[in-house]
Amino acid sequence: MEQGQHAHHLPANLGAPVSVLRWRSRAILATAIFAVLAIIDLFISHSFDYVLRGWLMGLMLCLSVCLGGLALLMVQWVSGGKWGFLIRRPLEAMSRTLPLVFLMFLPIAIFAKRLYLWARITDPQSALRAGVIDAMQAHAIAYKRPYLNLEGFWIRGIAYFIIFGIFTYFLNRWSLQRDTDTQHGNWFWQKRFENLSGPGLVVYSLVLTGMCVDWVMSLDPTWFSSMYGFMFIVAQGYAALAFVVLVVLALSQYEPVNAIFRVTEQHDLGKLMFAFVMLNIYMAFSQYLIIWSGNLPNEIRWYMNRITGGWGPIAGLDFLFHWVLPFFLLLSRDLKRNKRKLATVCCIMLFARFWDTWWLIAPNFPDQRHNLHFSAGMLQYIFVPGAMTALWLAYFITTLRTRNLVPQHDPHLPQILEPEHAHA
Amino acid sequence: MPVREGIYGLLAEFDTPTQLVYAAQTAYESGYRRMDCYTPYPVEEAAEAIGFDEPKEKGVSRVCLLGGILGGLAMFTLETWVSVWAYPLNIAGRGKFSWVAFIIPAYEWTILWAGLSAGFGMLALNRLPSPYHPLFNAPNFRNGATSDKFFLCLEADDPRFDIGESRELLESLHPTSVVEVEH
Repeated sequence: MEQGQHAHHLPANLGAPVSVLRWRSRAILATAIFAVLAIIDLFISHSFDYVLRGWLMGLMLCLSVCLGGLALLMVQWVSGGKWGFLIRRPLEAMSRTLPLVFLMFLPIAIFAKRLYLWARITDPQSALRAGVIDAMQAHAIAYKRPYLNLEGFWIRGIAYFIIFGIFTYFLNRWSLQRDTDTQHGNWFWQKRFENLSGPGLVVYSLVLTGMCVDWVMSLDPTWFSSMYGFMFIVAQGYAALAFVVLVVLALSQYEPVNAIFRVTEQHDLGKLMFAFVMLNIYMAFSQYLIIWSGNLPNEIRWYMNRITGGWGPIAGLDFLFHWVLPFFLLLSRDLKRNKRKLATVCCIMLFARFWDTWWLIAPNFPDQRHNLHFSAGMLQYIFVPGAMTALWLAYFITTLRTRNLVPQHDPHLPQILEPEHAHA
Repeated sequence: MPVREGIYGLLAEFDTPTQLVYAAQTAYESGYRRMDCYTPYPVEEAAEAIGFDEPKEKGVSRVCLLGGILGGLAMFTLETWVSVWAYPLNIAGRGKFSWVAFIIPAYEWTILWAGLSAGFGMLALNRLPSPYHPLFNAPNFRNGATSDKFFLCLEADDPRFDIGESRELLESLHPTSVVEVEH
């Protein structure tokens, strides 16, 4: 080729670049700073409840990048495509953070009685007579008792992690085996991954629905929505994709990812992010539209808690960060092909997930519903999730370093090493 | 309409898309702007080489965006007009201006009109359908452009065009052939 566009060659060392260690020390520093701030805030506010609420928010955020990574990993196995090849190893590393997320879940289960109304109220009728809860809550707690009880919460919680653990284990193990395997061809491995990932996506959507119903929706035992699971699933894809694109953009400055990183795949990932931005608003708006159309007192209360009493601007900003900004930015073709600008959009999208998770969790509690006001405890919604996500990031980088960043024996590899020029 | 006479342009034939893209890049760098590539299948790099990324070439994106915005606004306005002024109905005590319910048809119309504008806008901006094109006069074009040849045409109305110099430039790029095409 006379114009000097040569095929890329893989460097000898396919491991993560040394620079990620610098990112990890920054993440550990951020963890320490946020943890100290959270402890200081605990002494000022004297409210352990707020620590737990912030902890739940941090858990949901770490869970979304961990399991969202697992889900995208399965999606790229069943769909194929060079974009999936490019982000496969970071996705695997994200899914392998599951043990850390399980440890983060334990405090929620241990202190469930301080967090969940249904766990605290053992006798709804006497609580109703004492005026602790209203009639709707008493009815909901009594009626949902067969599902919402502490034993079930523990058993289901552990079962969720075991199920996801199995998928994480095999997808990661096989991927590593494929790297060194020279006997079996591509077809053997491809079928193997597909056969696990296809059913895995169905299981993922069912189990994740259970997770978000147990951990977040049940904070308000009176409320229910059949869209809720899908909202979380799409939100996880939204967060995990924004995160993994950010990681790959950062890694593309160094070897070995710079050898397999091309504008074509970056553009494809940008389009996929755009699709998730649309799908996310589709889910969120559908739920709002259904509840708005039904106009039933037991359903609209959930929204009234979140859009009145000072929460209106928060909901508006949620819409701005989640949809308006990423949508109009990602419309541009040039932006999707520009590393720096696309990374900025990823940051906006990740920030939107923080904002939205706060908006979903905080107004569940009696002192903040209908009534957004500042208290020292509210700062825990910044400090505790900040410390937890920074710790997760440090652990993610540790898992990322354990493997080569370029999978071997995949037919996408020679294709992605070719220059972006057309060939005869 | 009077019959146009004279040269439409110089048509160079290449065997591979890589050669074509290189030729297009070279011609663009030499200052040619009125030119086009003809390939049997889409070659995105060829479009980029002749300045597809220039802001003035983004007609289709703009038409698409405009169509989407106008479509959405039109439906939203229609619904508002019907529900608030023309035929107000009290549905379960909700306000007449129920924007939540208006979103869905407005959203569908945004997609519909964005899609239609992109499709028909692309055709219009490409001046398609075009029953006659001067390039049909080149015999090698008729045989190759839809099967396995790659063409670059420098058009004569480019201010940079000069029959001698342009031919020299094209021939320096190792084409299979360079032919003059008449109107």
